[in-house]
Amino acid sequence: MIVRKESIPPGPSGEAPSETFVLNLGPQHPAAHGVLRVLMTMDGEWITKAEPVIGYIHRMHEKMGENRTWAQFLPNTSRIDYLSAMHYTHAFVGAVERAAKIEVPPRAEYVRVITSELNRIASHMVWWGAMLADLGGLTPFLYAFDDRELILDLLEGICGARLTYCYYRFGGLCNDIDDDFVQGTRAFVKHMPPRLKMYRDLVTDNIILRKRLTGIGPISAEMCRKYGATGPVIRGSGVAYDVRKIEPYSVYPQFDFKIPTYPECDSMARYLVRMDEMEQSLRIIEQALDQLPAGPVMGKVPRVLKLPPGDYCYAVEAARGRFMVRIVSDGKDTPYRVKLRTPSFSNLSLYEEASKGMILPDALAMMGSLDLVIPDIDR
Amino acid sequence: MESQVDTSKIVTFAKLEDVLALGRANSLWPLTFGLACCAIEMMATGMARFDLSRFGAEVFRPSPRQADLMIIAGTVNKKMAPAVKLLYDQMLEPKWVMALGNCAISGGPFVYPGQYAVIEGVDQLFPVDVYVPGCPPRPEALIEGILKLEEKLTGKRRFPVAKLKE
Amino acid sequence: MKPSIEQLTEAFSCLAGPVPAEVTAPSWPVAVYTVDANLKGYHFDAAVSPAQVVTAAEILDRFGFGLDAVTGVDWIAQNEMEVVYDYFHPEINLRVVVRTRVPRASPELPTISPVFPGANWHERETHDFFGIRFLGHPNLTPFLLPEDADFHPLRKDYQP
Repeated sequence: MIVRKESIPPGPSGEAPSETFVLNLGPQHPAAHGVLRVLMTMDGEWITKAEPVIGYIHRMHEKMGENRTWAQFLPNTSRIDYLSAMHYTHAFVGAVERAAKIEVPPRAEYVRVITSELNRIASHMVWWGAMLADLGGLTPFLYAFDDRELILDLLEGICGARLTYCYYRFGGLCNDIDDDFVQGTRAFVKHMPPRLKMYRDLVTDNIILRKRLTGIGPISAEMCRKYGATGPVIRGSGVAYDVRKIEPYSVYPQFDFKIPTYPECDSMARYLVRMDEMEQSLRIIEQALDQLPAGPVMGKVPRVLKLPPGDYCYAVEAARGRFMVRIVSDGKDTPYRVKLRTPSFSNLSLYEEASKGMILPDALAMMGSLDLVIPDIDR
Repeated sequence: MESQVDTSKIVTFAKLEDVLALGRANSLWPLTFGLACCAIEMMATGMARFDLSRFGAEVFRPSPRQADLMIIAGTVNKKMAPAVKLLYDQMLEPKWVMALGNCAISGGPFVYPGQYAVIEGVDQLFPVDVYVPGCPPRPEALIEGILKLEEKLTGKRRFPVAKLKE
Repeated sequence: MKPSIEQLTEAFSCLAGPVPAEVTAPSWPVAVYTVDANLKGYHFDAAVSPAQVVTAAEILDRFGFGLDAVTGVDWIAQNEMEVVYDYFHPEINLRVVVRTRVPRASPELPTISPVFPGANWHERETHDFFGIRFLGHPNLTPFLLPEDADFHPLRKDYQP
């Protein structure tokens, strides 16, 4: 089975063929995960150059940061990457709290961790369904969304939104959680492991999936470092880099969880990293529910929030990788600059180099294993 | 002597257009055109819990030549607008457009004075039949949008509107 | 490879050299700060002249850092643009920020994409938003904006 083709083979008369054509994987495509356009220069079925063209969902988040007050920017944070919206709000709220030295009560921190991990599982479920739909398996999508609806019910009960929550505020949360949420989450934590086992038996151990993903799309650890690719991409290349362990934030040091790492560097490794991450998230949620302290969920925050001048950063481990917010403040009540360093941007930047010489279905499988959300790239 | 049979309950005479409208309304084939966050709610509507296939509309076609309903789910950009217009032009008549979510209706939360990238409402590009507000709208809202479109096509609403108890 | 702040300080202080004459105020010998990470979110802050960003990137590449982001800040009041390079380390908790300033009238500095290929996209986006030119960059065309865009929206004096 030819996986990679290093050079264009000579034609029947002996010289290299000059016929390549450009295939436009347009902004509207079922496998493009949104509005990504990839200009693929193809030699037959092999890709000689795949150039992503982005900007089709550029929604001016960074410019809006300069036109909105600190609190008015919070709805924007949910819409950068809507599948793991809690993480993105967490990063922005954390950056402002760090700069303004706002104390967050421990109960709020624990609830933030619980909701973030639930959101991570929900995001991985969408990734799993979408990637398998790209490969041609359309049924797991239904099962994935079925599990996801349980999470969305829980989160809707506490903050009212299904997708673009704006649940965290500077200094804590906007609402406290109630017993329904705690019991529902415990029930969910019990409900998931048999489902994950079913997915492992039916899908992960499926010979077709194994053949489609093993050895496909190798990304070395050195390439990850040079391009800044983080999250499951770098963990599937053998480097145990997870912001929750390496640069701990919130109350993650209190929990005992593993960072799944696979050294094979191929799409199967990235797939297995995400499947294992879901189990680790369930562990974190269970421990957080056991350790949940009582108390207020909102700290003391000044009415009009003005940060001291300077620049501040905060990084979180979003579902797709390392999300960092860099805010520059000049002492006013609106930011001077908000820089959003999104994981999908860095993860996609290595696509051009990594997909040289692959055949088209393999390149799409690799793109699915990178787990891209295009508004995350375009912001 | 038997009482008169009310034949209108047994046999209905309909014009061919009504039959066609009934057929079109109950088998709307959407175009897979999820742009942003609303796309996830559109996908959730097609999934097992909310199940758009009850209304005949679960067959999402990737090609505009085979679809007759274009659900614009997400923000339309100035860079993306020519592509959206091209897709609309490529769809065959009769075709309908549903603007799903605030961004498709009017630019949504991304409109501020001095904005440079967002088209403020997809009805600036082509006519829209149904507007479904929300950010993102719930799957039930999308289904209500489909039902409103059915009502627009056939003249009759499939389910009666629930009356709230006073 | 697990570098320490002392090793970084020593490596960066070897960067001292003549600052090119055309860089305007403030004068930038290599200024190196260790920073309170709890407040700022990063540990080490190095201010270099625009000509030294490639050497700084090479030092950090040798120490095993990964590129986090390259971005710009438009300080219109001081008539300068600041380019900020963020680096993270995949094995230890050590965040490094390298910053430099270029004059607003002719914002040019060398590209670090030979050292960190990921900077290709970050620099292209920074050019898109601010108009900062990265000398030696292979493809400085509009990226997030439409292909025919000729404006730089994140400048403070941008009018649509």
